[in-house]
Amino acid sequence: MALKVKFYSLFRINLKSSGTEYEVESEISIAELIKKLDQEYDGYFTQKLLEEDRSISSGAIILVNGKNILHLEKLESKVNNQDTVTLFPPSAGG
Amino acid sequence: MKNYLKRQEKIFTKAQQQRLEELNIMIAGTGGLGTNQALQLQRVGVNKIYLYDYDQVEITNLNRQLCYGKKDIGRPKVEAAAEFLNQFDLETEIVAVNEKISLETEVPKDIDIIFDGMDNFESRFILDQLAEENNLPFIHAGIEEFFAQIMLVLPESKLRLKDVFAGSAKKEIPAVFSPTVTVTASIQVLEALKYLLDFNDYLENQLLHIDLLSNQMEEIDLK
Repeated sequence: MALKVKFYSLFRINLKSSGTEYEVESEISIAELIKKLDQEYDGYFTQKLLEEDRSISSGAIILVNGKNILHLEKLESKVNNQDTVTLFPPSAGG
Repeated sequence: MKNYLKRQEKIFTKAQQQRLEELNIMIAGTGGLGTNQALQLQRVGVNKIYLYDYDQVEITNLNRQLCYGKKDIGRPKVEAAAEFLNQFDLETEIVAVNEKISLETEVPKDIDIIFDGMDNFESRFILDQLAEENNLPFIHAGIEEFFAQIMLVLPESKLRLKDVFAGSAKKEIPAVFSPTVTVTASIQVLEALKYLLDFNDYLENQLLHIDLLSNQMEEIDLK
């Protein structure tokens, strides 16, 4: 099973896609995954997921198998085939 | 059973209906979500609703905050909301608390659940902490455009809101409008009732993502 990346909310609308999949040869970091996504989606995810200093944006949530990567190894968190990465901008309004 | 609840009689067992009419609810924030929650909870016949807010009604609230009209601009929200709800002369007690939620807030001793009616994550994390300290369930929702997320945090849950939404802060004021707000608040009420009335089918360690543009609801398993 491939590495699944799922998009929600405005990411899904902006990209007209609910996600993508990659077969990876060995585990990769989230930072490397963002580079792969950028190639497929024209730099969109660096813009949405990262600040200018390359830290994780406060306007984006990145989950690996349901866990926020801030509680793992942040952008160095590793993912492999069979993992699911969930990306969405949290809805803050009320 | 309150006589105006006859049409919902078959939905619940007698024990569930009795429990429903004993429920006391804290609504934290009487904006879009909070006013919609209050209207729904009053109609299903809970015992008491505490309304918490410290703000006054502004013109920009009127596109989605259903307890207010132009005549209320400048009034404390909780006062205007309580007056609006009380005009229906139903039996749910409405308690207005004109106070900003903080870590010093004294959560009423008799409540069964806290509803998130906030509009920013900083306040929500405070609310989540209050729920944890008071051993209470907490139902979160957040909205933007056609999208929303809902999460039920149980008293015994090790997975708190701050764990899932760590680092969240909005740089811009999110766009919000009434249809998404009303649908989302209604689902919050449904999820809370399913949990409190023991329907054994409610969100547990899951995030419900709602996409009303594509009519999709998806549960994301959390760890």
